Parts: sequence; C-alpha cells; structure tokens
Amino acid sequence: MQRAFDLDVDNCKGCTNCMRKCPTEAIRVVNNKAIINDDKCIHCGECIRVCPYNAYHAISDKIQKINKEKFSVAIPSIAVYGQFHLGTEVCKIHHALLALGFDYVYDETWGAELAAKALMKKLNESKTPKPAINSNCPAVVRLIKVKYPSLMDHILEIQTPMEISAILARRKIKEIFGLEGNEIEVYYISPCPAKSISVHRPIGTNHSNINKIISLKEIYGDLVREMKIKKELCTSTPSKTGLKWVLSGGQCEAACIENSIAVSGLENVMNILDEIEIGKLDHIDFIELMSCNESCVGGPFNFENPFVAKNNINYIIKNTENSLILNDDLDKFEQLYDEGFFDSDIKLIRDHQSHHTSLKEAIKKLEEVEKVYHSLPKLDCGSCGAPTCRALAEDIIDGLKTIDECVILKVKNNGSKS
Amino acid sequence: MRELIKRYVFQVQANDFDNAGAASSTIKRNLKTIAINPSIVRKVAVASYEAEINIIIHSNGGEMVLEIYEDMISIKANDKGPGIQDVDLAMSEGFSTASNAARELGFGAGMGLPNIKKYSDNFKITSNEKGTRLTIDIMIE
Repeated sequence: MQRAFDLDVDNCKGCTNCMRKCPTEAIRVVNNKAIINDDKCIHCGECIRVCPYNAYHAISDKIQKINKEKFSVAIPSIAVYGQFHLGTEVCKIHHALLALGFDYVYDETWGAELAAKALMKKLNESKTPKPAINSNCPAVVRLIKVKYPSLMDHILEIQTPMEISAILARRKIKEIFGLEGNEIEVYYISPCPAKSISVHRPIGTNHSNINKIISLKEIYGDLVREMKIKKELCTSTPSKTGLKWVLSGGQCEAACIENSIAVSGLENVMNILDEIEIGKLDHIDFIELMSCNESCVGGPFNFENPFVAKNNINYIIKNTENSLILNDDLDKFEQLYDEGFFDSDIKLIRDHQSHHTSLKEAIKKLEEVEKVYHSLPKLDCGSCGAPTCRALAEDIIDGLKTIDECVILKVKNNGSKS
Repeated sequence: MRELIKRYVFQVQANDFDNAGAASSTIKRNLKTIAINPSIVRKVAVASYEAEINIIIHSNGGEMVLEIYEDMISIKANDKGPGIQDVDLAMSEGFSTASNAARELGFGAGMGLPNIKKYSDNFKITSNEKGTRLTIDIMIE
C-alpha cells in the first residue's frame, strides 16, 4: 500500500484547497483534479480535513473480512475512547469490539504508559541533542525527514505505543492460548492516515507487528449500534497515565518532564521546527510535536471533534482509579527496557530518497528557478495548479509545467495586446 | 584561491524586529534547495540567525552576505557601527549589552558570539566605531 487514503476523482472539483494546505507541497492540480506526489506526502491528512467536497477517504480494511481462521486482536487507538457520548466506559467499547468478531482486545493505554516510562528514562540517559523531539507522531517524523532533515538526530527514538501494544498483545496471547506468528492477526483502529500508513511503511522498525488497519470511521456505526444493544459487566480498566498520552501535553505530563513544551497542529509544529533549526530552543529538554490539533483526538479519521473528544477523555481520566496496576506488563518494565524492547531506529524510515546532483548544477538550477520566479506575479493564487509562484517556477524548470499556465500573466498579456 | 560559485547580499535594518530572521531564513532555504548536507545547513542556520539578530539589536544596521564555494559556505555579517567596545569580553559566554526592549522579546541572553564561533570552522571578528565585521566559514566536506 502506497497510501492510507485515496482521492475520489469524481468528487474532486480541482478547487486547490488541499493543494494550498499541504505542508510539503505534495499536491498539484492537473486538468481540474488533484494529484498527490507520494514521495513528498507525509500522511498528515490536512487534505482530507480541508476538502469541501469530501473527495478524500480513508483506505481501510473491512470489519466483515476478519479472518475467522485466525485469532484476531483489536487494538483501538486511545483516541477511540473519546468518540462516544460523555461517560462511555472503556470496557463498553472493548465489549463492542469483541461482539463485532474480534477474539481479544488490547488496551493501548498500557502501551502508552510503558512508552512514557521509557521516555522518562531515555531522556535522562541518551545523548540526543536538546531539545529532544517525540517520535510517536509519524506525520511529524516524516515532516522532519522531508523539510527539516538536520533535526532528525533530535528525535528521541522510542517505540510507539501502537507497536509496543501489538508486541505485548502477541506475547500475552502466546502465554494464554499458545498461539503465535501467523496464527494471530492484529488490527489497529486508527485515528489518522499517518498511523495507518506506518503499518505498511513503518518508521523506526523493519517490520510492523500490526497486520491490518481499520479507520475509526469505518467501524464507528457498528460500534455505536453494538453498544446500544448490550450491557456487560465491566472487567477492564485503562491506565490513567496512558489516557493522558492522547491529549496535547499528555506525553510531557505522563513522563513528568518539567522543562518541556507541547505543540499541536501542523502550522504550530512547523513554526516550532523553524525555531529549533536556528538554535532558539536549545534550552528546552523536550518538545512534544503532534500534527493534529489537540493531538491524536484531532485525527482526521475520528468522528467527534477534537475538543469534545478531549472532554470525553478527561472525563474517563477523572473516573479512573489512580496507581492501580491492572496490567502485569507494567511490572516487566525494567526487564523490557534492558532488553532494548523500547528502542527504535528512526533511520529505518524507508521513503523519500533524495537525488544527488553536483553543487554547481544545483546552484544553476536555483538561479533558473529564481529567474522564472521573478517574472511571476507572486500572488500565490494557485490558479495554475501549483501551490505558490515559487513552486510553479520549480515545476517549470523541472519541465512539469509551462509559464503559459500562469492565469494572471495570461490576463495581463492579453490586456496589453488589445 | 577558492572559486566563488554564488553570492547573495541581504540588507538588515537596525531595530527591525518585524523582519528578524528574514535573511537567515532565506539563506537556510537556499542551502536546503541546493541539497547541502543537513548538518551543515543547521550550523549555518544557527550562526547566521545569531549574527543577523546581533545586527538588529546592537548596530545601526548593516548587511548579511552568503557566499557559496565548492567546499565551503561563508557568511559575512557587516554592520555600520557603533562597534563592540571590548571584543574579548563580548566573546565570553553570558555577556550581553542588549537593551531592555530586546530582552523582553527574548533576545540578549549573551550567547550570540560564542555560539557563532562554536558553530563555525573558521571565525573572524574585527570591530571599531565604524562597524563590526564577522566572517563565519563552515566547511562543506
């Protein structure tokens, strides 16, 4: 799978909203249809969010296709807990998932609590330059790779709660049912395209322990209907620390990092990355960067708006017992840490290869781009199908577009002729 | 003699906090565009931003120059005075003469010049009442 979302060409009007919002200028509009450059796309989902015609949709595995031959595990993203009406208990969501055909549910909050512990420990031990940046928002990691490559070594490499949960779920099932490897199929209920694509194109690991991805919206209706029917006895409790992880600032809080800042929303994230790049934030220990507004509760595959979801999660946090260790995986933290369980290698990110040209050639090209750029109106109107005049200039030099595609110049030239 | 491949000049106005960082930001973008090694871009970005802010806060205005050579990036920060009274003191960490207005904006922690030196492979500074001239060389390979 190249992408975790797709464009419905029939619904696309070529309006350029997505193109202008794309942080890596990965979208062009050609013949009134948006075209995505997969080499530049970081899967942040801004295009999905901004499209007025809902032309973008998630690519998701289907709940009806759960393989009954295999032992199926559901790991709902913590953000899923905020998608139902206020006061919905986590166990109720778990029961609904079991009723839909899953054999087992693993609660990601426990993976997040372990990740928070690892974060705290690693921040003190590792030689990551300051400020250290979180590694669990795949859109942010890809953004850094594409636009801020000099900051790659600031990323504190810790396995994501999603992967931690998948491995621990597999271990638990082996322990209880004696099943392993291909006998198990792990599904992640995803709030965003960035997490979805990380299963097929993982970051920080060679191979994801998750097999299938279901976007939240894909099963939202099934879950709501299921929850209306059944009333079961509550048997599982989430981790209070882990629940916080999914809200903006939650990672700093869960890992008890004092000298830290938490930033959410792509525009804010880019402003902060610009400041880190010029050395203005070297005095800060840790920066939590999350691509969506209010962090993962703002994911584009979620149903509820981020602020309502945040309130729902806060309600669950308030009503969850503190310091109750109900998951024995937590007792194994030190042992897991020492065996390198939480380590990841961000260099394993396998996309976005750059091409090598000589310095002189590169400068010559830059000069050509600048020359074309100065002849353009610099209105960044997007009517040509490129997001900015500079992007059009680059496309012209790359032979992808012609200067005739500039609508403003055309109007001006016609005016001067008549 | 090194062959100069490309030279850019940027004007920097005194006290112009609205455009603070504009020159170093363009320098950074250009170096990224021509695919200079990211760790080199980072060094240039930090050093040129510090130098630019110094011109804005402490001088009567001046210019930033970016020179690209086959094996080296050179930044020159030249201002029109009033000059640094004691260059050795200014080069020590923690020393600052920034105005209160600048401090309120978060500038003037007194790490500017030592930080620039830390990030450069070759650093030169001369100063008199007519102006201060910085040369910051960062090797590409």
